[in-house]
Amino acid sequence: MNIKILSYFICLSILNGVIVSAQAQDCSSSIRGKIIHLENNEPIEAAYIWVSEVNDGAVSDQNGNFIIKNLCLGKYTLSIQFLGHKTINDTINLTSIIFNKTYRMEEESMNLVGIEVHGHRDAVQTTSSVSALYGEKLLESRGETLGESLKRISGISTYSTGNSIAKPVIHGMHSNRIMIMNNGIRLEGQQWGAEHSPEIDPFLADEITVVKGAETVRYGPEAMGGVILVTPAPLPTKKDPKTEFYLLGASNGRQGNLAFKHTDGFNKIKGLGYRLQGSAKRSGNIKSPDYYQMNTGLSELNFSGAVGYSSKKLGIEGYYSLFSTTLGILADSHTGNLSDLENIIANGRPFTDGSFRYQIDNPKQKVTHQLAKLKSHYHLSENWKLNFQYGFQVNNRQEFDKRRGELNDKPSLDLQLYTNTLDIYVNHTHKNEFSGTWGINFIQQANSNIPGTGVTPLIPNYDLTNTGFYAMEKYSKGPVELEAGARFDIRNVQTARYINSKLQTANLNYQNFSAFLGGLFHIIPDLTFNSNLGSAWRPPNVNELFSQGLHHGAAAVEIGNSELIAEKSLKWINELEYDGQKTHLEFTAYLNPIKDYIYLNATGETYVSLRGTFNVYEYLQANAFFYGFDVSGSYDFTDKLQGYLRGSIVQAKNTEDDNYFPFIPSNRVEWGISYDFSKVDDSRTNKLTVSNTLVSKQKRQPNFDIAPAPPGYALFDVGYQKQYYISKNKLNVGLQIQNLFNTSYKDYMNRFRYYTYDVGRNINLKLNYLF
Amino acid sequence: MKNKFHLLSLFALLPLFFSSCNSEDPVPENDGEVITDLTLTFQEIDISGNSVGEPFSFKASDAEGIELNATPEVDIVELQRGKTYQMKISVSNSIAGEEITPEISTESDKHQFYFLGSAFLGIDAPAKYQYNDEGGINLGLEGIVITVPNPKANTAQLQIVLRHNHNKSYPGASDPNFEKYVNAGGSSDLDITFPFAINP
Repeated sequence: MNIKILSYFICLSILNGVIVSAQAQDCSSSIRGKIIHLENNEPIEAAYIWVSEVNDGAVSDQNGNFIIKNLCLGKYTLSIQFLGHKTINDTINLTSIIFNKTYRMEEESMNLVGIEVHGHRDAVQTTSSVSALYGEKLLESRGETLGESLKRISGISTYSTGNSIAKPVIHGMHSNRIMIMNNGIRLEGQQWGAEHSPEIDPFLADEITVVKGAETVRYGPEAMGGVILVTPAPLPTKKDPKTEFYLLGASNGRQGNLAFKHTDGFNKIKGLGYRLQGSAKRSGNIKSPDYYQMNTGLSELNFSGAVGYSSKKLGIEGYYSLFSTTLGILADSHTGNLSDLENIIANGRPFTDGSFRYQIDNPKQKVTHQLAKLKSHYHLSENWKLNFQYGFQVNNRQEFDKRRGELNDKPSLDLQLYTNTLDIYVNHTHKNEFSGTWGINFIQQANSNIPGTGVTPLIPNYDLTNTGFYAMEKYSKGPVELEAGARFDIRNVQTARYINSKLQTANLNYQNFSAFLGGLFHIIPDLTFNSNLGSAWRPPNVNELFSQGLHHGAAAVEIGNSELIAEKSLKWINELEYDGQKTHLEFTAYLNPIKDYIYLNATGETYVSLRGTFNVYEYLQANAFFYGFDVSGSYDFTDKLQGYLRGSIVQAKNTEDDNYFPFIPSNRVEWGISYDFSKVDDSRTNKLTVSNTLVSKQKRQPNFDIAPAPPGYALFDVGYQKQYYISKNKLNVGLQIQNLFNTSYKDYMNRFRYYTYDVGRNINLKLNYLF
Repeated sequence: MKNKFHLLSLFALLPLFFSSCNSEDPVPENDGEVITDLTLTFQEIDISGNSVGEPFSFKASDAEGIELNATPEVDIVELQRGKTYQMKISVSNSIAGEEITPEISTESDKHQFYFLGSAFLGIDAPAKYQYNDEGGINLGLEGIVITVPNPKANTAQLQIVLRHNHNKSYPGASDPNFEKYVNAGGSSDLDITFPFAINP
């Protein structure tokens, strides 16, 4: 810990040296700034900044940042323009090597003819470490699950069950320790289960953002490991029809994927716009290099629609999304007892070679998730905005096991979860340096087991309410942004279930205070440092408290513990970002101690029944210490040739008995080179990428696992992306070959490594047409 | 479950809210998939297949099904040396009050009993097993057990495994003493070992 702190100091002092030495030269000063919306603090992309004295300018980037370099000391006049906003003219006196300022642009009056009303965009405003997937990267990831897509961000991996269920993992945390936001609403499915995939269609996203810090204050309990925001593009505010089609095919599993998106507005009513979006996916049995994995097909059908109106003072948006899927679970993973399990582990793969088919049999999962939201904001004054957001979600989950006779047609787990969320908050933004958010957040949840499964429910029926009060303030001046916030939560959970015809109930109360402190410093124009220290908590989930029963896949009896208390964590995350002309580098390091971390522990005992023997697992609490770092960088060797690298290391120690926790990602590095064939003046993509992923063996294993960690592996991928213009329309063509050499491998983070090798070679053709 | 939602009353304007306010009252479930009782019924027969004496049976039972802190109660299977017996298997679920034997019989293409353990395996095994199901299928609900006249040992282990969803045409799978039954795929519905004694 001390070494890390020390290294930051060393780093900082070196940088100071750079600044001092640079000061000796003339005309090497820079103006650096950030342009944001006055009313909501959101960054403005593509604002135009002009310095009349030097006849030079800049355009703000996605985060609203701009730099004008190579200036001599002296007086300059800046003119900042953005459509629909009042032009800012500012005279500055450049007296040092670097000048920093944040500009807030005010929207022009709606009465003016021909002025475009901008759509509001809820990018995250945090001093914590944030990474996003958008544009070309997102295009490349189309057709993949949310978890797989996010592997393109350093520090993110997946916790998967076979190839179709992949849960995103942020710095070793997943399931109930991270939060996924579907267009601003916290996604509430049955996320506690290792084999419960996030119920969200990645095609609805225009941008997927990952906040790696503890964000409990902003988003509520459970956001202790981080937050994933799946955000669609803002709704249009005038007539501007845009349609987008995707047609994707993959050789492995013979997967077909079709998606569309249409957005438009109206001439007659300014500020009114809508979006319709849908996708369908079908795939059959996946092929490992030497055999087909039986019953691994899936089908998915998703739809979403949104309509919104925005005027100068009022913004209102209605949104609905439907996610539905049927997932086949590898037939061989359904083991009857421990001896079945030991036999297949010893064999290392299924006993039969299988064959291709689309049909999905038991075991399988059928899941639908519906989300409706109503969101509104009202500008109380120039500086104050009132926000209201209500979300309603229904999650239906049916899990079918291989059973006898009529029972085979009945689900063995049949859950229905209703969630209501309500957020009311105010934002304030002032021309002086303060801005902030104060609000109340309310969650109400009802979970019911649908009777008739013929199985004692794994988790009880329950009712949950959670109320949180929070406030955050941010101070930004020049190169510095400082942020602090606090939150208080109260939670009540009431449960009921029959076990052996006896009614068992519980009434549990939790409350907690959490807070964070963060800062961001522009050290030199190209270098930013941010640091965020956040406390977080997570009350035990119902499955951790009350699980009781047989887990078929793992040949395990899992037992909950109703005495568990809430986990408390502290995450300190630091990021250094360098954005030079040829080099881009991001380095993230974090320390994350957790008190009373809840985990599933193998007792080492077995349970004997007429069906055979089972391992017994119980939920325990221990103090944990997570720490690690991520690195991500790219370098332009020439105008055409670029290299990139990203890697991460995470350590998760049980500090009480000097043991490691299971299913923590092993060290991984991905690197690649890309060559751009397009001419200098041609903006169309024409790029070939070759990449290599290296994953080491997980040597930090717990004392007990039913099978040892698989060896490390290396995979090679090739991708080619080309863009065509067809009159005014755009066609993107992508060809990707994953696992080029058809390598047989197992990943430690895949729970099905006990039963099978991972996916073999997969050739993807991805077409995207925009008109 | 009735809850006191103090704060909810604030948001009474939202009709959707109340349609889904509370969870359903729980309903007891009878565990349908569980096998709680397995009975082996023996009937001695002579060379021409006629019954000799009265049938007798041995039982393995686990009242709780798959539940923690319960161990199955298992009888000792006692047979006489040098005899031939018809053996019938019946399985039931006392929790749901259901006979499972007919279901296994109906799904005979998906099920098969294997007879393992020192009672049947090895040159010195004290007993032999043959399938004797109706229609000549390899199922094991009915079979013939022949005890040797001069066993090397008087006690042994009799393991009965019921496989489900395996490949019945896998090479060797038709042998009731097929030790490598896992290679044929599928999973175990039952795996129980009876102590076995041969009396003079």
